[in-house]
Amino acid sequence: MASRSRKTARDKLQREFVSEAEEILERMRDDLSALAEAGAGKGEPPPETVNRLFRSAHSLKGLSGMFGHAALSELAHHLEDVLDRLRLGRTTLGRDGLGLLDESVSLAAAGLEKVGRGEVADALAERIADLVGRIAGWDAPARASGELASVELPESLLRALTEYEESRLRDNLRHRRGLAVIEVELELASLEESLSELGRAIGEVGELISTLPSPGAASESRIRFTLLAASPLAAPELAARLELEPGAVRSAHAAPGAAHGRETPARSAEPAEVDTVTLKSLSETVRVDIRKLDELMNLVGDLAQERAALRALAVRLAAERATSRAATELEKISRGLDRKLQELQAGVLDVRMVPLRQVFDKLARVVRRLRLDLGKDVRLELQGAETELDKLIVEQLVDPLMHLVRNAFDHAIEPAAERARLGKPAEGVIRIEASQRGNDVAISVRDDGRGIDPEQVRARAIAAGLVAEDAGLSRKEAFGLLFQPGFSTRSEVTATSGRGVGLDVVRANVSALGGLIDVESIAGAGTCVTLTLPITLAIVQALLVGVGSQRFAIPLGGIRETLLVSPNEIERSAGRELLNLRGEALPVRRLAEEFALGASDPTQRQYAVVLGIGEAKLALLVDRLEGQQDAVIKPVSGPVASVRGVAGASELGDRSAVLVLDVSALVEDATRRREAA
Amino acid sequence: MTVGSPPRWERLARAAAAAREGREETPLVRELLRVEVGGAPYALPIERVREIVRLRPLTPVPRVPPLVLGVISLRGQIVQVLDLRQALGEAHATPGRRARIVVLHGEGGEVAGLLVDAVRDVLRVPEADLREPPGDPAPCVTALCSKDGRFLSLLDPDQVLELAAR
Repeated sequence: MASRSRKTARDKLQREFVSEAEEILERMRDDLSALAEAGAGKGEPPPETVNRLFRSAHSLKGLSGMFGHAALSELAHHLEDVLDRLRLGRTTLGRDGLGLLDESVSLAAAGLEKVGRGEVADALAERIADLVGRIAGWDAPARASGELASVELPESLLRALTEYEESRLRDNLRHRRGLAVIEVELELASLEESLSELGRAIGEVGELISTLPSPGAASESRIRFTLLAASPLAAPELAARLELEPGAVRSAHAAPGAAHGRETPARSAEPAEVDTVTLKSLSETVRVDIRKLDELMNLVGDLAQERAALRALAVRLAAERATSRAATELEKISRGLDRKLQELQAGVLDVRMVPLRQVFDKLARVVRRLRLDLGKDVRLELQGAETELDKLIVEQLVDPLMHLVRNAFDHAIEPAAERARLGKPAEGVIRIEASQRGNDVAISVRDDGRGIDPEQVRARAIAAGLVAEDAGLSRKEAFGLLFQPGFSTRSEVTATSGRGVGLDVVRANVSALGGLIDVESIAGAGTCVTLTLPITLAIVQALLVGVGSQRFAIPLGGIRETLLVSPNEIERSAGRELLNLRGEALPVRRLAEEFALGASDPTQRQYAVVLGIGEAKLALLVDRLEGQQDAVIKPVSGPVASVRGVAGASELGDRSAVLVLDVSALVEDATRRREAA
Repeated sequence: MTVGSPPRWERLARAAAAAREGREETPLVRELLRVEVGGAPYALPIERVREIVRLRPLTPVPRVPPLVLGVISLRGQIVQVLDLRQALGEAHATPGRRARIVVLHGEGGEVAGLLVDAVRDVLRVPEADLREPPGDPAPCVTALCSKDGRFLSLLDPDQVLELAAR
């Protein structure tokens, strides 16, 4: 039994290896086609692309090596080698080189297919060996390099350049592009953001060659950076473009005589080597396994509970005369501890946050590929890439977003001829926008395609037996049907979007993250799908509620308000209970009934917890409100994990477990049942 | 600052290496935890037992099979607790003073607790003494051995966990 399951585990790993390697190869194919498009056979290959190819080959080497696919690893190793020489300017690409790279990637993919089918990739060893021989034998002349000594740059800067950066500098010199040294001072707190912002802005008008920290910041919370950039713009123009003081950008001209290159610039004192080193390590980033952050988070949660115990002790001591003074002291200490704990918690949370950029980059790649494959003219517009979300959520978002984008590309945006007939611009647009709204992040995917006709949706739903023929469906309800399992508005099958199945999967993915999905569409004009997601899943402020002898935690993010209601305030209408909240009719659910906990005393007043996600609201009736607490939501395995309405569990101060309610599922169920009624 | 997990391929590769190293080690002597359920002795492979804890208040979970008694928090980790009596088709009984929760870890890192009437001891049983259970064995029983004049049923933790998933 044990060996069988180990074998299954190995198979699973092997499958994951194949899918991961496929992803790497796909990325390499994209980059190669970009190289070919850029006419790299003759001119200069775009440095970023070559660098990315190099990194991909490196990953492929490591991956196949660890999985014991020697031939693949060998091939990747030689690819890496050749790409390294290429990116360092020690060799040129040429048409032959491009062909060789192409062949390598195809061969690696063929080898992978054999692994995927359970055959041994080493059957390709001979062909790979042949190719490796040709790669090793390929030695094109190195590019002529620009002379570094001839440029007016501080030596401290030149010394700090990596080999790659140096090669970029030489290359730019050789092309007689202008160089600029940019001095900026940035807030430590928003360092990464500001730097990548600057990098992007520079990228629009040239190339950022190097980023070096330097001493002399005005305060401890700030840090100075020296950026080296190549751009055709003159210093003042560049400064204006980057929204910097004119003095912050200085041109570094290539001097006519080589001897002038080592001059020290007048404006800044030469930094001591030691300073440079320490400051440099300050800007270095650390890769951390997300599980380690989870552990930290758990520790913080545990600390919060210890603190609660300390508080309780202080209260007990205060009650006794002999210890009341000490109790006051203890209370003070525990309050201080509380503040620090909150800071610690915020800090750990902050570290988990990553910008959506990485997802956006992936989507851009997909669209580029689709454009090539389907020959459709579609532009992708991205906004809000800097919006931050918990890393775990970001990872889970890739698939749903990918699906929505593919759908828009394939189904929504009309073929060119049809767009021309309709008087629409030839180029279709898919626009993805992300923004933070309180504790949520909203991400919308909007296209200017054919839109969805609610009537057509209705007809199809009736045909599929999803709704009764005489069901009067509102617009919103009709759009909601799109997310029902087994629903599709198009019968053709394409490679891009499969059978059009999957919107139900998108919804399932999004609600697993505690999010909600919403569609708005105008027939003929386009569709907009909006995902609303919590910023983090790791720790939430929660309201403890009691029903009978049980307690539950409800994340505060999903709670709009709480109010005490007497039985006669609950109105009955057509078999449904409704609560009149300042004129708005809210569906009512009793938690006791929802979870079959036994009915509460019907004559008692109850608390209504008004839950809301997006537009949808629900009044959840409970017996008691028991105060607010920080809850570290822990995953639960087994059948408990799949209980609808339960997001997870958390530990309370008294070490007991409490279930955390899944607000989005509860709200969704209530509103859907109302629609069905 | 950018903080990320290592690339997925790296994690994968590490897992693969671990799987290669931990391969094929068939113990000739099995260590078994002897427990009591419904008056009969059962055994659980000790390498799957993470810890044994006293019975504590369970937090019931709605909408789950009756086999799932609820969850407990073990130093912050949430653990589901299954009723081994029900799993083995024994009559319900109120857990007594000797009742314990045997916490097992699964292959994928998940954990689950089994409520047993009592925990007896750890036995060392030669692999050769384990027999196929005769006839139509109860669910989750994978082997049988004779100990102290009684038959001891060896339980497969994975199959017990699977029962709960139904």
